[in-house]
Amino acid sequence: MHDDSLLLGTELSVTDLTTLIKRTLEEGFYGLRVSGEISNFRPASSGHWFFTLKDSKCALSAIMFKSSAWRVNFKPQEGDKVVVTGSLDVYAARGTYQLKCDTMEKSGSGDILAMLEKRKREYDELGYFAPERKKKIPIKPKRVGVVTSATSAALQDILQILSRRAPSLDILILPATVQGSSGAETIANRIRQANLLLLCDVLIVGRGGGSLEDLLPFSEDAVIQAIYESEIPVISAVGHEIDWALSDFVADLRAPTPSAAAELVSQGILDLRQKVESLNLAIHKAMQHRLQLLEHRIPSTIAMQRSMTHLLEKREYLLANAGQSMSQAYKDKLEKSTQRVLLATRELQALSPLAILARGYTLVFDSQGKAIHNQEEAKVGEHIKLTFIDGSRKALIEE
Amino acid sequence: MSFETDVSRIEEIAQKLNASETSLEDSLALFEEGMLLSKKLEKTLSEAKSRVEIVLGDEKESAEITPF
Repeated sequence: MHDDSLLLGTELSVTDLTTLIKRTLEEGFYGLRVSGEISNFRPASSGHWFFTLKDSKCALSAIMFKSSAWRVNFKPQEGDKVVVTGSLDVYAARGTYQLKCDTMEKSGSGDILAMLEKRKREYDELGYFAPERKKKIPIKPKRVGVVTSATSAALQDILQILSRRAPSLDILILPATVQGSSGAETIANRIRQANLLLLCDVLIVGRGGGSLEDLLPFSEDAVIQAIYESEIPVISAVGHEIDWALSDFVADLRAPTPSAAAELVSQGILDLRQKVESLNLAIHKAMQHRLQLLEHRIPSTIAMQRSMTHLLEKREYLLANAGQSMSQAYKDKLEKSTQRVLLATRELQALSPLAILARGYTLVFDSQGKAIHNQEEAKVGEHIKLTFIDGSRKALIEE
Repeated sequence: MSFETDVSRIEEIAQKLNASETSLEDSLALFEEGMLLSKKLEKTLSEAKSRVEIVLGDEKESAEITPF
């Protein structure tokens, strides 16, 4: 089929012909490097890019799939002059062909990259990137300086992350122009200013994402020199993860993004917060353990209580016993006394003069109530009183 | 006391609290001290007392610093 002569006069189906074209184009046009201007740029929600690549005379429809598009470090704009690499792709269902792009860079960026590589080599040879020159980023900084645009989203990200992770950290913003021809000078000036006035103990130097040209100030000699000379440790945080600038190499630490720089700077404080928290927990646990051990010894207290109760019961019993014997003794004594009283009473009764009267004797008293014991005392003619057991009578002595 | 000495003091306290030869009275005193220290440190680290300031002026050797 590939032999042209075979096509002459041969009847082909659309599919046959399209398949032939597809194979011819795709096998014949690959590893292409095409320069042109972007037109009718249509990014799809799927992440794929559709656009037209054109120059003054011709236009070529082009596609860049998401898998390649995310690697492009700028957002293509209408009229951007770019260089793409890729291959031709035939869309059989429509019979159209397009340029399938694998990479895209701005025209001239190849030159820029070559220039940066050259500069990087030079500084490397001068020892600017030597690992032993890297200063340590303080674990617990007191004030962090941020050299970036005062109005940028990158700064907002940094402030937000720092206030969340290390609320005690002071922040000093050193506003700089981060793109364009004056950028490098203002960035370098801010780094020097921070050093001269010793304004902070760590510096973040960076900006958010942008095109290769946008990031150029961070690769300029002035910035490289200022970072190299900085006594304050510098964290370079330029663009996105995939971007790089020479500041990344000369700085003491490279952060992939400004947000990541904020995280790095606050990591020590965050770690310390966690350490304090875990120590606090450890003390609590140790104390709890200690108390638990003591609690385990409490059963012995219960035993002590039990033996105490036992002792008390025993004493109570003894006391009750003693009480009883005491009251018994008392009762005995009472009884004995009663007996004695009774006996005494009886004895007394036996001695009573009344008892004599009961036997028939009579007591004689004179008119003054004095007992008359003999004849002498009983005078004739006197009235006397005779007392019997049951009463008395008056009598007159006649002779 | 510096932050670092405070931290190592708490570590020491935790260690002593775990040691069985520390008496209960000592434990309680240590515990109290440890709690006070850790609260103080936590406060130092997480209290939102940070100042956000900005340097004004382009002069390299002078700076006017004002709240941001």
